Amino acid sequence: MPLGEIVHEYPMLIPIVGRFGIRLGVGEKSIGEVADQYGVDADFLVMVLNTYLNESYFPEQKLRSFHVSQIVDYLTKTNAYYLRFQLPNIEKHLNAFVATSSPSSRSSLDMLNGLFQAFKRELTGSIARDTEVDFPAFLALSQSCADGGCEEPQCVSSFPESEEQTELLLADMQNILIRFLSGEYNENLCYAVIFALNSMERDIRQHNRIRRRILYPIVGAMRQNAER
Amino acid sequence: MKGTTKRIAVIVSDTLQSIGLQTLFSDYFAPVEIERFVSYDELLQHGSVDSFDYYVSEAETVALHSDFFLPRSSRTVLLTRQEGSYADSNALVVQHPQEELIAKLHQILTSGRQVDEMASGRELSSREIEVLRLVACGRINKEIAEILSISFQTVLTHRKNITAKLGIKTVSGLTFYALMNGYVTADQIGQ
Repeated sequence: MPLGEIVHEYPMLIPIVGRFGIRLGVGEKSIGEVADQYGVDADFLVMVLNTYLNESYFPEQKLRSFHVSQIVDYLTKTNAYYLRFQLPNIEKHLNAFVATSSPSSRSSLDMLNGLFQAFKRELTGSIARDTEVDFPAFLALSQSCADGGCEEPQCVSSFPESEEQTELLLADMQNILIRFLSGEYNENLCYAVIFALNSMERDIRQHNRIRRRILYPIVGAMRQNAER
Repeated sequence: MKGTTKRIAVIVSDTLQSIGLQTLFSDYFAPVEIERFVSYDELLQHGSVDSFDYYVSEAETVALHSDFFLPRSSRTVLLTRQEGSYADSNALVVQHPQEELIAKLHQILTSGRQVDEMASGRELSSREIEVLRLVACGRINKEIAEILSISFQTVLTHRKNITAKLGIKTVSGLTFYALMNGYVTADQIGQ
């Protein structure tokens, strides 16, 4: 099936294929052809697309057959996408929404902005930890195992729990808007904020699922080998 | 939304049956989070077996592990092929037509939901507001128990009820709600 047809049917996949460096203008090429063109592992691409399309589809065994560096590379690109596009997108819509709301509801919406800032701090902190500590450690461990040594380098002692916190904060923000919003406000901008929050929540949920159920078990197994 | 998501453990050895149940739940009872287990032992290996709202398993498995399922009987769906043998229970006769299966599942899931909806429909009690204030001021559960002279367990119950009523799970979200409704001031929470 041509990638263009799939993306036309499910436009939410556009940012996902973008993380693999694939740009629109894919013509009638199949996923395999596009993957070849961009030097991407077609199996890995298909697997990731499927996990986003169907939340109940999660082939753990197949996903665990991929290399740590592939998964880390994908998650790194996802993190970059959050920082460059999704966070600014929510912020832009939220600021416009707050600015156009009636003065009576302005103060509570300003506080909602504070909640968003809490989410932003949580997410950027988690991404910094990925970039500076965890991912380099995972890659070093993987390299060490590939070299036959399997010596444990400076590695994180435990896996972060802040991931779930980011999902919960996104859900709380949507819930607060849907259930407790009052006063005069711009409905279109409100929808844009909720839509942006919801898109990010869905994305982060898949992202964290790949981390928790694929990356961490692989790293955990490598650590056990290293300890032997 | 997140607060109304049902977490369902499907403990069924037959892969096709397990996938079929997952599809039924996802298609007709969203939002749901389904986890599939091939056996009771695999369920036990799961970090928190009590985190599920419902359990679905074959009648034989439920009978074999009645010590686990009996206290959770109102939240357990039994799969059976024997028509009528579990007429008054949460039995799902697997060879019934799809429409009947959906109707039965609806009946089981909504009987549990009535409790949730009663909880979420009410306003916060004065005690819950006191707990909410202290949460917003950054107090941890142990401190809240001491300040209000109640047990730690009671604090947990109040917090659970607050989350059920408001649908807000994070401390940041609860703080926002408390500020928005005037239960605390920005000075009190150090903003």
